[in-house]
Amino acid sequence: MAETGPQKEPDEAMLDLLIKQVTEGLSPEEQRELDVLDNEVASAYARDLEHAAAAISIAGTGQPEPMPAGVRSRIEAQLRAAVATAAAPSGRSSTVRAIGRVPRPARTTGGWWAAAACLVLAVLGWLRAPPLVHGPGAAPTPAQQRDALLARPGTLQIQLETTAEPAAAGSKADVVWDPRTQQGVARFVGLKPNDPSQHQYQLWIFDGDRDQRYPIDGGVFDVPPNADQVVVPIHAELRVHAAKAFAVTIEKPGGVVVSGREHVVAIGKAG
Amino acid sequence: MRECMDRYGALVWSLARRLSRTASDAEDAAQEIFLDIWRSAARYDASRGSDTVFVATIARRRLIDRLRKKSGEPPMEPPEALESIAWSDPASEPATAIDAAHAARALEELRPEQRQVLELGLMHGLSQSEIASRLRMPLGTVKSLMRRGLLRVREHMNIEIEGVAGRADG
Repeated sequence: MAETGPQKEPDEAMLDLLIKQVTEGLSPEEQRELDVLDNEVASAYARDLEHAAAAISIAGTGQPEPMPAGVRSRIEAQLRAAVATAAAPSGRSSTVRAIGRVPRPARTTGGWWAAAACLVLAVLGWLRAPPLVHGPGAAPTPAQQRDALLARPGTLQIQLETTAEPAAAGSKADVVWDPRTQQGVARFVGLKPNDPSQHQYQLWIFDGDRDQRYPIDGGVFDVPPNADQVVVPIHAELRVHAAKAFAVTIEKPGGVVVSGREHVVAIGKAG
Repeated sequence: MRECMDRYGALVWSLARRLSRTASDAEDAAQEIFLDIWRSAARYDASRGSDTVFVATIARRRLIDRLRKKSGEPPMEPPEALESIAWSDPASEPATAIDAAHAARALEELRPEQRQVLELGLMHGLSQSEIASRLRMPLGTVKSLMRRGLLRVREHMNIEIEGVAGRADG
């Protein structure tokens, strides 16, 4: 809108089409009609009119209605899944699949959104979020991380017992955890795919030095359709002093702070 | 992502609620809009307007597209249920909504019937035909009112922004 607008003026027919386009949309026939008109004039005017319509919409919104927390949580989960899918490189050769990013408590990021340019920065931030599965020559995949952890002395390897929960039927799970570096990976074979908009799997770490009613959040993850096996990096929210057990539950999208433990999928004790 | 939702969630949700038939539709629309924002962010040009207007533009495109696809369904609300919009006070707008403040100022200068037609079209998602039917006006009159009103807002916004730029340069 900083421009003064196009030099050439659209005729009335073009203007009617452009206004209809930005207020209610065009039929395919009307769109074809617009396409044959002067594109340069049309696109410049369309941009300005669309901008004016958007500004009027904001002005008319007044005090915006907050998005309900449940809706926001579902949208965030769906976005995470979409971004993870977009970030995953194509042509992966193994059965290890990209899985959902672990949500973290709100963290400030230096006021990205304080200025207009924040939009680009923040979305680029999305795009540049570390991919969960890396291509050859890049950072190790979770499966490679697992192999590396197993080669380290002092690493714990824990078999998880799956429960009667339908999602766990016929599945197997294990965890590899290095207490020294606080790095770990969980592997699941045959775990049922989930719909991230409905629920997600969540990892938990029981720390011997902490209240057992409140295990440490190890992050949420998804099992994509047709994934025979998923390998999930564990992201402990807090330092784990003495890992005593690991568990997996099914929770609402985005995970929970304290699990009601209604749907435990797998659990296993260390040592 | 949280900051994105913090900053634009309420705006996107408000627009989606206004231009969707049900809360469920609005939720689907809001999700699509945020995906669109993510895909389109690289095209954002601050010299063309605020990020808020950029987001609202993306939201409107998506919502109009969804409305067209559902155009065979009954109208969203009975005409009698359409409440009048409480337009923003141009003087109280935060800096991020400066374009909206310009638009609100321009709307104040429109003839009441131009403003009413824009309100029904842009805020309630009524088509020009639906507006004509509701206001018992010929379609050509609705088109003319909408055209003049929107062009007036566009001109006003260009003048305002050029004025601001000129003062900044001087």
